[in-house]
Amino acid sequence: MITPSGNRVYGMAAEYPSAASLYEAAKQVRDAGFKRWDVHSPFPIHGMDDAMGLGKSWLSAVVLVGGITGLLTAAVLEFGPSSYLYPVIVHGKPTNFWTVPAFFPIMFELTILFSAFTAFSTMLTMNFLPRWNHPMFNWERFKRVTNDGFFLVLEARDPRFSENEARELLERTGGRHITVVHEE
Amino acid sequence: MSDRSHVLPAPEGEYFENTRFAGLSILCGLIGLVGLVLSFIGAYRSPVQFSYSWLFGFFFFFTLCIGCLFWTIVHHVVDAEWSVVVRRQLENIALLLPVLGVLFLPIWFWRAYLYRWMDVPRGVDPLLDAKRGYLNWEFFLFRAVFFFVVLTVLAYLLRRFSVRQDHDGNPQFTIWMRKAAFVGLPLFALCLTFGAFDWVMSLNWHWFSTMWGPYIFAGTAGSSMALLILVTAALQRAGYLKDVVTIEHYHIMGKWLLAFTVFWAYIGFSQYMLYWYADIPEETQYYIVRNTESWNVLSWFLVIGRFFVPFAILLWRATKKNLTWLCTLAGWIVCMQLLDVYVIVLPALHGTGVHLSILDFLPLIGIGGTLAFFYLRIVGQTSLFPVRDPRLIESLRLTN
Repeated sequence: MITPSGNRVYGMAAEYPSAASLYEAAKQVRDAGFKRWDVHSPFPIHGMDDAMGLGKSWLSAVVLVGGITGLLTAAVLEFGPSSYLYPVIVHGKPTNFWTVPAFFPIMFELTILFSAFTAFSTMLTMNFLPRWNHPMFNWERFKRVTNDGFFLVLEARDPRFSENEARELLERTGGRHITVVHEE
Repeated sequence: MSDRSHVLPAPEGEYFENTRFAGLSILCGLIGLVGLVLSFIGAYRSPVQFSYSWLFGFFFFFTLCIGCLFWTIVHHVVDAEWSVVVRRQLENIALLLPVLGVLFLPIWFWRAYLYRWMDVPRGVDPLLDAKRGYLNWEFFLFRAVFFFVVLTVLAYLLRRFSVRQDHDGNPQFTIWMRKAAFVGLPLFALCLTFGAFDWVMSLNWHWFSTMWGPYIFAGTAGSSMALLILVTAALQRAGYLKDVVTIEHYHIMGKWLLAFTVFWAYIGFSQYMLYWYADIPEETQYYIVRNTESWNVLSWFLVIGRFFVPFAILLWRATKKNLTWLCTLAGWIVCMQLLDVYVIVLPALHGTGVHLSILDFLPLIGIGGTLAFFYLRIVGQTSLFPVRDPRLIESLRLTN
């Protein structure tokens, strides 16, 4: 969607007075059937996932795979040299499977390490981060979002998006300072 | 999110009808009485077996009750919001600690069979002589009295303030409870750690573990959270707390169950691995008894049943949000705590292998029945949740 002046439109945004009103507005937008939209707040709002109809994130599944990879990496790196390549009896401990208690700390730590790395990098990927700028910053009021501002934006790429319908929905949910946000 | 609080008015208090459950109360009392009487008859037939079995039953219920005191204290110390609706049950169970103080008396009377170090004369055992400053009868008795006095005062105060707040809603009580909790947290840690040293670690006075306090604590906190899940679910099954406790609260309790399942394994394994690796006879004797003969089967069962099974199941969000699964797991974890205490206490008597005795069950039934009887008396005295707690609304509207 392009404005008469030739700017591409990112979406239509509105400000809400409180976390609670943003929460209620999100439920109405969800029920109105919008798919491409987002909310912005200075802090996480409990229950917002359900209010936005997001469903369960697939991050946890990826992290599980990362954790299992870490566990197996540690097992291979420990059992490989100590049991197969160069088995040496140290401190009277066996070199077969039953030396596993000595290996647990590394297994545990690589599981945690790989899980953390996977979670961090997958989170960045899912959020399209890092990026230099975001169209929302073209709106002066939006700078309050890290302090006391609560915002909801309906993106123009949503198939249901039309200027009148979006404005009407934002007004109905109690949004203030309703603004068209440009891409550049 | 305090600005949503106007949406939901504070509900009226909900009261457990003592008359409706009078039969259950009498039944528990009778079972407890019969269990106690049979235990003491057994005590005259085989005092040695009785003393260990009693310690097993006593210490199992002690960990459950002191764990509930721990969760009450933590609730106030960290200013928790979610746990307001289930806090009253924690306070009720913690108030059973003075009853346990009375049930400690048999350990006092039969101490000669349990704590052999009391009878070893000076000069015979240099290892014991080095520990005489701590391991002597007068100090042991002083500590036991100190523990129960402190725990009783804490449990009583925290519940008393909470109940008085039910009447007038004065937020000052929240501040007082927080102050009591801050004083109580280190006191709780001392009582549980040194109680565990005195009553179970000193069964073998040659052995010692610096991990012992955290190990007992890990089992305590996990199993008392499991008990809270079971008690809350039972009250809901009986028709109470219907609109008060939601699946969101169970979800959080399930997360705690998972956390302390992992913590138990972490501490237990840390203790095991260091002894296994260093291989010093003074330290390994504890595990040599428990990892040989038929005790080895129970030790393996404990490792799998207390960690691997609950971990694999509780890891999934769906199981923590499913009441049937969660209650099954909670019941399982309480049973595993029972097994844990059994594997801690009884090998000190039957070092050559598992030797189940009828006396192992009688004190358990006796103490359990007595505590259930007193719990049913206490639970009806006040509302089933703190009606006028300042953060009740937030707790009611909990979302994860």
